[in-house]
Amino acid sequence: MSSSADLPAPVVLRVDRVACTAHGVCASLLPGHVRLDEWGYPVVVEPRVGDAEARTAIRLCPARALYLARR
Amino acid sequence: MTRTDTLADLLDAAGLAGRGGAAFSTATKVRAAHAHGADLIVNACDGEIGAAKDGWVVEHHLPELVHGATLLAAGRRRGILFAAHRNSRTAGILRAAGLDVLEAPSRYVSSEESALVSLAHGRLARPMTKRVPVATGGRDSRGARIRPTLVLNAETVWRVAQIAERGPDWFRALGTPAEPGPRLVAVSGFVAAPQVLETQAGVPVRALLEAAGGLPPGSPAVLVGGLGGAFLSPDEAGRLHWSRESLGTVGAAVGPGVLVVLDPWTCPAEAVSQMLTYAAGESAGQCGPCMFGLPAVAREWDELVLRPSRAAEERVRRRLELLPDRGACRFPDGVARFTGSALRVFGSHLAVHAAGACGYTSRRSDPRVVVG
Repeated sequence: MSSSADLPAPVVLRVDRVACTAHGVCASLLPGHVRLDEWGYPVVVEPRVGDAEARTAIRLCPARALYLARR
Repeated sequence: MTRTDTLADLLDAAGLAGRGGAAFSTATKVRAAHAHGADLIVNACDGEIGAAKDGWVVEHHLPELVHGATLLAAGRRRGILFAAHRNSRTAGILRAAGLDVLEAPSRYVSSEESALVSLAHGRLARPMTKRVPVATGGRDSRGARIRPTLVLNAETVWRVAQIAERGPDWFRALGTPAEPGPRLVAVSGFVAAPQVLETQAGVPVRALLEAAGGLPPGSPAVLVGGLGGAFLSPDEAGRLHWSRESLGTVGAAVGPGVLVVLDPWTCPAEAVSQMLTYAAGESAGQCGPCMFGLPAVAREWDELVLRPSRAAEERVRRRLELLPDRGACRFPDGVARFTGSALRVFGSHLAVHAAGACGYTSRRSDPRVVVG
């Protein structure tokens, strides 16, 4: 559809909101990328996360709620 | 395979976009679905507040609707479901026609694309996280495999049949270059003749309202697109057009094709309060930002209505910023848009209201008018 369809979309960190149960590990591991709202659920302020950092956070999320997506 | 590609190309040539609200390219979805051998769900739930057009399609154009579904399913006899609200008139018509009916509970989010897919898998009708488009399958949040499923709005499927029969040029002769084709709009609420209109993008909103009897004097606003939409002031309803470009100037959209006219007696601040209370109760309770955020918005709106102040308004605005893009579905995004438009259109009424000079005689609207 869009004119940028041929360009590869950047990889961004996403949260599976159904799986997320507000452990808050992502905010500890990715300061500057993720903060928590008043109930402890993540607010992704900068979704472009370095590959190694992202993989660590994905591996350590107790709810298995983090993933990378092209967006 | 050749045949299915031909259909997607035809839809591309017509420029058909989904009529369920998101206005995504139907050709793109169909291509992905065909490449993955997807099942088909025709969504005739009319889940949005004031929505009626998909039931209208089932009632008046069922043979064409079934034909469109058959074309999309590329000759497959199995794997076509028609979704409608449980015990609805629409469900009855579909069942009487011998079609496979997927009956969804009458809840706001139950007819969302992935909620219907979840229901079709024998689970609850609750939205799923879409790590990949549901037309391509993928897995749910617990890792269970999801069958690739193409979910299209009933009007969209009807348009597919029309385009196949009459061609893309016929389709593009109606509407605007950006939003081509005929389209349906349901006009309801406080109008003399509520109805589903056959219209096209680019027409004045006023013409749609006049077809249903006109905007009554004293009506404080027209709601476009229900809980996921936005209010138009009477002035805006009088000068804007039914298009993404025109409605977009006030944060509204053509969406699922719904206009609800507010009555002249009910205080709009109170009407919004009731609708937000309803919204909070319609969260599926899966995603934290929605299950906690929507009740918080409803509560803070009520505080703003009781004691309006710059600080109270700022609290609501900050709350709305925390809703978008933080759910498995777009319900919280829609409520943020809805509430933001209420602040814009009814903001000046709040101070008057709190000073005891509201002027509207009723604080409770008929819930059957406001909600479904």
